[in-house]
Amino acid sequence: MTALTPRLLDIFKLGLIIVAAVAIQTALISRLRILGVTADLFLILVVLVGVSRGAVTGMVFGFVAGLTADVVFLDPVGLRTLVYLVAGFAAGRYVEEFGLANAWVIVLLTAAVSLASQVVYGLVQFATGPEGALFAMVRSQMLPAAVLDGLLAAPLYLSLVRLRVLPAPGASEPSFR
Amino acid sequence: MPRHPVASRRVLFTALVVVSLLLLTVFFREPATGALHSVQQDGLGALSPLQSLASRAVQPFEDGWRWVGQALRANDENREIRAQLEDLRGQLVTLREASEENERLKGLLDMKQAGIFPQDSTFVVARVIGKSPTKWQSWVQIDKGSAEGIKLNQAVVGATMPVAGSLSGKGLVGKVIAVAAHASQVQLVIDPGSSVAAVVQGTRAEGIVEGTVAGGLLMDYVERDKPVEEKLVVVTSGFGQIFPKGIPIGLVQTVGEVDVNIYKQIEVRPFVDFSSLEEVMVLTSPVTVGAGVESMTSVIPEDPAGKDTGTTTP
Repeated sequence: MTALTPRLLDIFKLGLIIVAAVAIQTALISRLRILGVTADLFLILVVLVGVSRGAVTGMVFGFVAGLTADVVFLDPVGLRTLVYLVAGFAAGRYVEEFGLANAWVIVLLTAAVSLASQVVYGLVQFATGPEGALFAMVRSQMLPAAVLDGLLAAPLYLSLVRLRVLPAPGASEPSFR
Repeated sequence: MPRHPVASRRVLFTALVVVSLLLLTVFFREPATGALHSVQQDGLGALSPLQSLASRAVQPFEDGWRWVGQALRANDENREIRAQLEDLRGQLVTLREASEENERLKGLLDMKQAGIFPQDSTFVVARVIGKSPTKWQSWVQIDKGSAEGIKLNQAVVGATMPVAGSLSGKGLVGKVIAVAAHASQVQLVIDPGSSVAAVVQGTRAEGIVEGTVAGGLLMDYVERDKPVEEKLVVVTSGFGQIFPKGIPIGLVQTVGEVDVNIYKQIEVRPFVDFSSLEEVMVLTSPVTVGAGVESMTSVIPEDPAGKDTGTTTP
C-alpha cells in the first residue's frame, strides 16, 4: 500500500494536469491568438510528460489527454488520441535515447512534434475536407503553431518542474546554457 | 504479457494505437446519434459550466489585453481616420457641387418643358466660363459658340438656385452679343445697355425693361394710365423679335410716378440671381431677327481659352 501511494499521487497529478489543461485551453489560450494561431496546450503537456517521465508514461498520458481533447473539443474521436500518444511516446523515446542536454531541446522537440501533428491534422483535413487548403495552411497555421508551441514549452516545463508537478530529469533542472 | 520492458512497451504502444484507430473508425462510421458522438455531446454539456465560469474569470484580463492592443493601434487608426475624413470632406464638396449643378440643370429643363417657348424650339445648354470684370458692364462668357449652333441675338435663359423670397430662379438671362467658334458672349438683361420689350402680366401694361448700373432692372415707357401693382410678373412681350413672348423676367418691386414724366418708372426684381449664374440655355431656334430695341450685334475674335477679354463692341 505504501509502495502504491507515490504512484497514485503521480496519477492524480497527471489527471489534475489534464483537468487544468481543459480549463486553461478553453478559457484562456483559445482566446489568445499569437502569430495568428493558438497554442496547443495539450500537445505541449504531452511532450513535457514524455520528456520528464519516459516513453510509456508519455504515451499513456498522451492517449488519455488526446481522448479528453477529442471529447471536449468535438474533434473526431481517436484523432488527437492517436497523435498525442505517438507524440508522448516519441518525446519520451528521444530523451531516453539522447538525454536532455538543455532546455533548448525541449523547445525544438516540442516544435518538431507540433509540426508533425499539424501535418497529420492537415492530411486528415485534406482527406476529409476541402482540397487545396493543405499548402496554404503550412504557412498560415502549421509553422506558426509549431513555433508558438515550442516557445511556450520551455517556460511551462520550468514552471511545472518548480511546482514539482513534473520531475526534473536527472539531479538538476535543464538550463538554457 | 511479455516480461521484457521493451517488449511490453511495444505491446502497449501497439494496443493504444489500435484502440485509437478503432475509435477513429467507429467515430467516422457511426451515425451522428452514435455512442462516441453522444459522449462528445455529454462532454460538451459537462464542460459548459466550466467554460462559462472560466470565461467570466478571464474576461477582465481579455478586456485588458484588448485594451492594450487597441491603445497600440489607436495612433495609426487615428491617422488613418483623419485621412479618411479629409477624403470624405473632399467627396462631400464634390457631391454638393454636383447636387447644386443638378438642381440648376433641372431648372433649365423645367423651363424648356414649361411650354413658354414655341413647339419647335431647340436649346443649347452652356456653362458660364467668364464674367464681366466691372460693374459697368454685365455680361457672361459661355463655353458654346458657332460650332454648336449659336448665333448673334439668340435669347438666353437660365436657372439659378431659388433666391430669397418668392423668386423661382428661372427666367431671362439676356442675349448673345458676340460669337466665336466655341465661346460666346451674352449680354445680361441687367446690363445698362440692354433693353427688352416686356409686358406686365395681369394688366398687359407694355414697356421696355432696361438694365441699370446698379445691376437691377427698370421698366420704362409704361403709360401712366395703365394700372401696375407690386409683385406682378413681368414677361417678355415678343415685340422686339429677339426674345420669344412670355419668358419670365422678374417681379414688379416698386411703381413710381413723377408729375413731369408721362411714363411710370417700375423697378423689377429679376428672377435670375445673376451673381450665381453657372449654366444657361441658349434658344437656338426658331431663328430670331435682330431688330428694334432688342437689336445689338458684335463679333469677338475666337478665344478658346475663354478669357474675360471684354472685347465687346456694342
